[in-house]
Amino acid sequence: MKRTGFLHDIRYLLHDTGPYHPEMAERLQAIQKGVEAAGLLPQLTEIKAVPADMAWIEAVHATVYIRRFEEVCRSGVRQFDYSDNQMCTETYDTAILAVGGVLEAVRMVMAGEIDNAFCAVRPPGHHAEVAEAMGFCYFNNVAIAARYLQKEWGIERVGIVDFDVHHGNGTEHIFEEDPTVFYYSIHEHPSFAFPGTGRDFDTGKGAGKGFTKNSPMLPGQGDEEFKALIQQDLLPAFEGFRPEVILVSVGFDALDADEMADMRLSRACFTWIAEQLKVLADQYAEGRLISVLEGGYSIDHLGELAEDHLKVLMRD
Amino acid sequence: MFVSKSMTRKVLTAAKDESIFSAQERMKQAAIRHLPVVDADGRLIGIVTDRDLRSAMPYSLIKNTCDDAERAKLAEMRVGEIMSPDPITLNPAHTIQDALLLVQEHKVGAFPVVDDAGNLKGILSVRDLLRAFVNVLGIGQRGTLMGILVEEKVGQLKQIVDAITEEGISFGSVLVARYWEDDKRAVFPYLLTNHVARVKKKLTGMGFTLIDPMDWYLDQLPSKESE
Ligand SMILES: [Zn+2]
Repeated sequence: MKRTGFLHDIRYLLHDTGPYHPEMAERLQAIQKGVEAAGLLPQLTEIKAVPADMAWIEAVHATVYIRRFEEVCRSGVRQFDYSDNQMCTETYDTAILAVGGVLEAVRMVMAGEIDNAFCAVRPPGHHAEVAEAMGFCYFNNVAIAARYLQKEWGIERVGIVDFDVHHGNGTEHIFEEDPTVFYYSIHEHPSFAFPGTGRDFDTGKGAGKGFTKNSPMLPGQGDEEFKALIQQDLLPAFEGFRPEVILVSVGFDALDADEMADMRLSRACFTWIAEQLKVLADQYAEGRLISVLEGGYSIDHLGELAEDHLKVLMRD
Repeated sequence: MFVSKSMTRKVLTAAKDESIFSAQERMKQAAIRHLPVVDADGRLIGIVTDRDLRSAMPYSLIKNTCDDAERAKLAEMRVGEIMSPDPITLNPAHTIQDALLLVQEHKVGAFPVVDDAGNLKGILSVRDLLRAFVNVLGIGQRGTLMGILVEEKVGQLKQIVDAITEEGISFGSVLVARYWEDDKRAVFPYLLTNHVARVKKKLTGMGFTLIDPMDWYLDQLPSKESE
């Protein structure tokens, strides 16, 4: 059995998005409950959040943006620029804890304390741009983790796989000119779903040309199309790139029952993608895989999806 | 929405006695496909496209097999001999919509923009038009497109806009298009949010029908005439 880390922390519930927001604390409670009920906790290495060193956040985000986020948040204003970004006074600190928790998970994997990890964090990150909060995201957890891997651990090639139903515009944008970070995303087609980016002809820019790959799916498509695209687009891309560590933006919102978008993946398909990613990690990255929660809003199903995901990571 | 705001002002031009080799070289350098031809006073007298230039050159030249005599003859050829005189032009006060309709009517990639006195003021290419259209659609911003079917009666759009505004959601754009059924309209709000599920429910609750995203054929709605 692999030594799998599970990042969860009660402080991630403190980010309060108000009464009508889908990105709510209950999401993590559902995940926690599912993992507990499945009896997985004793076999997992529990990871607790620590605040991130500001230098790592600044490795991705503009300092003026970070300061502005802090000020707006502490002032008690409940919305940051867009109606999507509902906050409370704890949001800024929670976002720092989300980054810090993910970096701690990465550190433990790199130090050999665990083999892989799943990070159940809030707020999510993949829509966050260098200087803009967007789509419930404030700090781009995964992008910061990629920079941390490179600067602190000397990793040269980081592979990011994002299977949230929405395109990770922030992550793509941050690395689009960077040939050392490969960003792969499979998501609902941008003409039908937020954020309106991630077209199949967007493949990176400048030196980063060829190091971004997008697989848009049409509304209503499901397991079959998803699997075909992963096999056709992701597997060959990573065979060429040979990532030394794999970071995963885990979104459970492509699930059929999830109302945030129009894709129809089954529960089993999420197990399938986790298995594919683990095979890739074993092939190229000495098994080093850190997955980080992005979206997923079906409270009734998040528990079992997290359970399945962790079970795949724990398997030999 | 005036052409003058969207056109390219710094225009590369040619005189009618410039050699076609020189014109071709300058167009290649600047990566442009349309070269307005002007007289000494800056008045438009024609236009040369990269296609005009290519068809003026014999195949043997492209293959590098033509002899010196033939090459010398081509070098003597002037822009004025191959340009299209009286090209279709726009006035700076024309609108983007005028230009769109003109593009659809004539298979032209760019229009010289001239004032009432015939002076060249700029050039408007299909690319400029597309940029304006992307802007109008709002798709340069991050958001979600929705489709709502409404009956053609007073106050429908207001209800939709109010319902969305009450949710605190900003609009990137709102497009209203004809629908297959004559008494209905398709409304496409582009919303700057990741969170449309709630607004969708609200609108269905109010009696609106959402258009299945797979049934969006923005470019294929039947025209009134063909019905
Ligand atoms: Zn999502």
